[in-house]
Amino acid sequence: MDFSNTEYYTNRERSWLRFNERCLSEARDENLLLFERLKFLSITASNLDEFFMVRVASLKDMVHAGYKKSDIAGLSATEQLKQLYPALHDFVDLQYDTYKKLSKACVENNLLMLEHHEDMDAKQAAFADRYFTDNVYPVLTPMAVDQSRPFPLIKNKSLNICALLKKSEKHNDFAVVQVPGGLSRLVELPSNDKNMRVVIRLEEIIERNISKLFLNYEVLSAAPFRIMRNADLDIEEEEAEDLLKEIEKQIKKRQRGEAIRLEAEKGIDKKLLARLGSELKITDDDIYEIDGPLDLTFLMKVYGLEGFEEFKRKPFPPQEVPEIPAGSDIFEDIKKGDILLHHPYQSFEPVVRFVSRAADDPDVLAIKQTLYRVSGNSPIVRALAHAAENGKQVTVLVELKARFDEENNIGWARMLEKSGCHVIYGLVGLKTHCKICLVVRREEDGIRRYVHLATGNYNDSTAKLYTDFGLFTCSEPVGEDATAVFNMLSGYSEPLGWNRLSLAPLWLKKKLLKLIRRETEHALEGRRASIKAKMNSLCDPDVIAALYEASAAGVDIKLLVRGICCLKVGIKGVSENIHVYSIVGDYLEHGRVFIFDNDCEPEVFLASADWMPRNLERRVEIMFPVEDEKLKERVINILDLQFEDNVKKHELMPDESYSKKKVSGRKRYSCQEDFCERAEEMAKAVRNDVKESRVFIPLVNPAQDKEIEDEI
Amino acid sequence: MAEKNRKTKLFAAIDVGSYEMSLKIFEISPGKGMRCVDSLKHRLALGNDSYTNRKISYRKMEELFRTLEKFKTVMKGYGVTAYKAYGTSAFRETENSSMLIEQIRSRTGIELFILSNSEQRFLDYKAVASRGKMFDKVIEKGTAFVDIGGGSIQLSLFDRDSLVLTQSLKLGVLRLHERLQEMRPRASQTEDLLDEMIGSQLHVYDKLYMKDREIKNLIIMDEYISPHFNDAVSSADNSGYAKSSDFLAYADSLLTKRDEEIAEELQIPEENVGLLKLSVGMIKRIVRDFDVEMIWAPGAELCDGIAYEYAQDKKLIKIAHDFEGDILDSAAMISRRYQGSGKHSKIIEQAALTIYDAMKDVHGMGQRERLLLRLSCILNDCGKYINMMNVGDCSYSIIENTEIIGISHMERMTVASAVRYNHTPFEYYDELQEHADIDKRSYLTVAKLTAILQLANALDKGKKDKIKKMKAYLKGGELHISVNTDADLLFERERFGKKAVFFEEVFGIRPVIDRKEI
Repeated sequence: MDFSNTEYYTNRERSWLRFNERCLSEARDENLLLFERLKFLSITASNLDEFFMVRVASLKDMVHAGYKKSDIAGLSATEQLKQLYPALHDFVDLQYDTYKKLSKACVENNLLMLEHHEDMDAKQAAFADRYFTDNVYPVLTPMAVDQSRPFPLIKNKSLNICALLKKSEKHNDFAVVQVPGGLSRLVELPSNDKNMRVVIRLEEIIERNISKLFLNYEVLSAAPFRIMRNADLDIEEEEAEDLLKEIEKQIKKRQRGEAIRLEAEKGIDKKLLARLGSELKITDDDIYEIDGPLDLTFLMKVYGLEGFEEFKRKPFPPQEVPEIPAGSDIFEDIKKGDILLHHPYQSFEPVVRFVSRAADDPDVLAIKQTLYRVSGNSPIVRALAHAAENGKQVTVLVELKARFDEENNIGWARMLEKSGCHVIYGLVGLKTHCKICLVVRREEDGIRRYVHLATGNYNDSTAKLYTDFGLFTCSEPVGEDATAVFNMLSGYSEPLGWNRLSLAPLWLKKKLLKLIRRETEHALEGRRASIKAKMNSLCDPDVIAALYEASAAGVDIKLLVRGICCLKVGIKGVSENIHVYSIVGDYLEHGRVFIFDNDCEPEVFLASADWMPRNLERRVEIMFPVEDEKLKERVINILDLQFEDNVKKHELMPDESYSKKKVSGRKRYSCQEDFCERAEEMAKAVRNDVKESRVFIPLVNPAQDKEIEDEI
Repeated sequence: MAEKNRKTKLFAAIDVGSYEMSLKIFEISPGKGMRCVDSLKHRLALGNDSYTNRKISYRKMEELFRTLEKFKTVMKGYGVTAYKAYGTSAFRETENSSMLIEQIRSRTGIELFILSNSEQRFLDYKAVASRGKMFDKVIEKGTAFVDIGGGSIQLSLFDRDSLVLTQSLKLGVLRLHERLQEMRPRASQTEDLLDEMIGSQLHVYDKLYMKDREIKNLIIMDEYISPHFNDAVSSADNSGYAKSSDFLAYADSLLTKRDEEIAEELQIPEENVGLLKLSVGMIKRIVRDFDVEMIWAPGAELCDGIAYEYAQDKKLIKIAHDFEGDILDSAAMISRRYQGSGKHSKIIEQAALTIYDAMKDVHGMGQRERLLLRLSCILNDCGKYINMMNVGDCSYSIIENTEIIGISHMERMTVASAVRYNHTPFEYYDELQEHADIDKRSYLTVAKLTAILQLANALDKGKKDKIKKMKAYLKGGELHISVNTDADLLFERERFGKKAVFFEEVFGIRPVIDRKEI
């Protein structure tokens, strides 16, 4: 059986679009709170922007470069684009259909989002005009286009208004003004109905006042538009090496920054659209006439409006980790045994405390950490800088290539360097995506290494929104491996052997394939064999082929793949034993968990890597085992509960669509809600233990505590 | 914490090898022994330059400085309080090594010392010995130790529990690899060709040294198969000890596998598989030729030996094995090979040590020079095997060309010179410099050792073991050597009188014999 037959694979772009459809289905789900639906709709819009900038841009690059190689599903770039165009247009139509429904629902719930400036009443119009004069006009830069002034450079992703101007009978001029990004996209207007709040988008206010920008001209028509460019984006790790070489060769021919999408308001003056089309050299396929407001990410601002709390999900505060109580000595806690953290249900605070405590602890010799994406004003970055100032040896690998974060990363990387940290600015040709922090501490019985490994970034902000796992350990074999990882990241040779960690791009893929094949062998020998795994995306052809082989041998495979999945289910003799689910919920499913049954002796791994070629071959990633039996059981249980979800879980069907079963007749079960409750109960149980105790435990200054300990 | 950690030392061992630079950080404490807490390796092929041009390029030196600076940062991070840095064959084969060492010192502050082959092998041997009980257990039976390097291998033999014989053979895996590449054999020819290349040299070794020795164990030290030995060989326990039959079965299967397959199996870069195969092929041949029963691959490295020696010197750990005994035993083995007079050697060694110890306050030499004196005594007449008329020069040549594990090149030349001047007139520095590579400090050591050796030799000149008991002490500017004997010492006194002149010249002390009759 040839498991690599392209017919058995789904094109990744099509699969991605299905993922965004699942997000959109959340926005369309009437069981959700209204503002949560708005948020989901906004997410689909920003997802789509990224998709255009990275994936569509990449496909266009391939077409320009004449790259003929087909994708995992046997499609050439041209064929993929051909399939994508109608699907993308349909998707956008569905987005705006959803927007209309939600807008209507908002009105029913006392929020009026005015579509056009013409819809304002006199009082609102006067307010808008004053707002324009006071706040907007001073920051606008109108640009007219005529024989002496060429067509201006329209910035990628910016929202603009174009206008057709008339100065004399003979001649019409074209003009553009950018909607300033620095001003709020949403302006609240006075309302005659005290129960109804009214908002309008900034571009509508500008459009209403556009004649003030072009005095001596008559404005014939005006309309907002937005473009997306094939900019200097990091597509390198997304594609095969031979393609990159091809692109390099073609680089002179390639039009840098070519426009790849034009969004314009539906009903835009045909002359304006034609002018834009010809100036931007854009094809009809890439023009999207939008029946509604452009760039729906403004809905996130709507979500942020004060009030309307009954339409928003009550925020869930991340709970205390029972093994690391507030004020405890985190190193002592870790010494008692490995600690698993399940974010965002459990707090990220112990991770910040781990680094901060290490920074102040006189016994800590060194801190080494990888940073991929951190929050602005990150407490971890501050702690690392503080540690270096305290004379610790601090090594930080800052991944500058983290997409869309480059500038942000350079800024704080320099700050770390100034504080005395040894900063490694990434590795040549590889993106460092692993999440690892190592603290070397000199203790009474010698050097001890404390390690934190995680599936998600060291980002205290996203740790409240993304579901991830973290593991604290001071196990010697893991410590040795962690030391070796940082040695390798510092340019030293690979160690002679690894104890526990599997590192991409060296061994991770091979290890995975080996683990899958072991299950296959077990199944063929009639032993129990199963694989349960969770990840963001699955599109590595070798891994998928190995999974098909396992399925054909009788291995029971259950996968939870949030995003892209190039594997097809239900193919006779190939994937009948594979079930793929996707959970799109309030929190972004982000953890990577791999469980191999190993004939009733399960092996559980957590990882920073998805099963994608870019993760397994072009990034530094870590897969680490969960060895403590209790923690292993906990992870297995968490994954099992996720498969039980009947609220947010979609199932991949043999026709490549996703289906969400109706809950009717069954008890409603949302794993994310359950995990919130469980985390709360676990934290409460510890608080109760403390309360019920008849002995008071005074908290002491950790530094003093240490001094006492030293004296004993 | 600092108080409690006082007995725990953090020590760094740096090995600037021919193909790689290594840094290992050790935690050493009397209670817990040695524990490696970090290990770094940086690929830098210094050997490529020095082997072909006898120089190291500017570019590589810059890389060396940069890496040593980085090593220093790591050492600082661990709070390392002591270190030793050694350069090996790449530096040995470089013409301007002393300049390079000075550059390293001035650019990085690191004091690098160059190890002679025998010193390096001795440290390798110590690295293996650092495995403690397991080492003691293995060497209880007849054992061979093969240390596989890039340029050469060192094959040593243990007699009971002491290392007695060592020989360097130009069969290093990189050397063989290059030769094989030149010959371009087919895959099916490679193993046989390798067997021929190794076999011819092993045959000579066998004829010279093996005789009726029974070798039960083979200790291997290499960078290729040792790290994977436990996983690869079925019967291997955690300490890397396995039946030779299992190793041979593994070797046979490995040598027929594709490189890609081996790389995946052992999780090593594919480019290293060729060298691994050569290492395995070599071990396989030795196992078969020596007919060993068990193999031990402790996975030790030079840095382990450096740390072990430091711990030994600083008395941080208890060391049961007598390494000085190994050096003396191997010298005794050389002496036997050249039919040296064992009994006479013993007598003069006894006499020389009596004089040496009595002169402690005057000569200012230490334990190491005491060892060199003992070696000089053991080897004092090995040259007579070649020519009885020219014992001094012949002994010098033998010692110059025979490896004595555990001592440096300069130390070996010191011993060779002391032995030569025991038989020939002493040469003064200016004269000596014309034909010998010796520094002033070593020259003075040679002079002192020669003076003592000559005196000790004179006391048994007739080789009749006339002196039954001997004592020595300093009194009134004289060295009194009190001897108990009933025999006539006329011949000895005559020799003693002549040699006393040089002794007095060197130390400013006149030696006199006080005879006591029994």
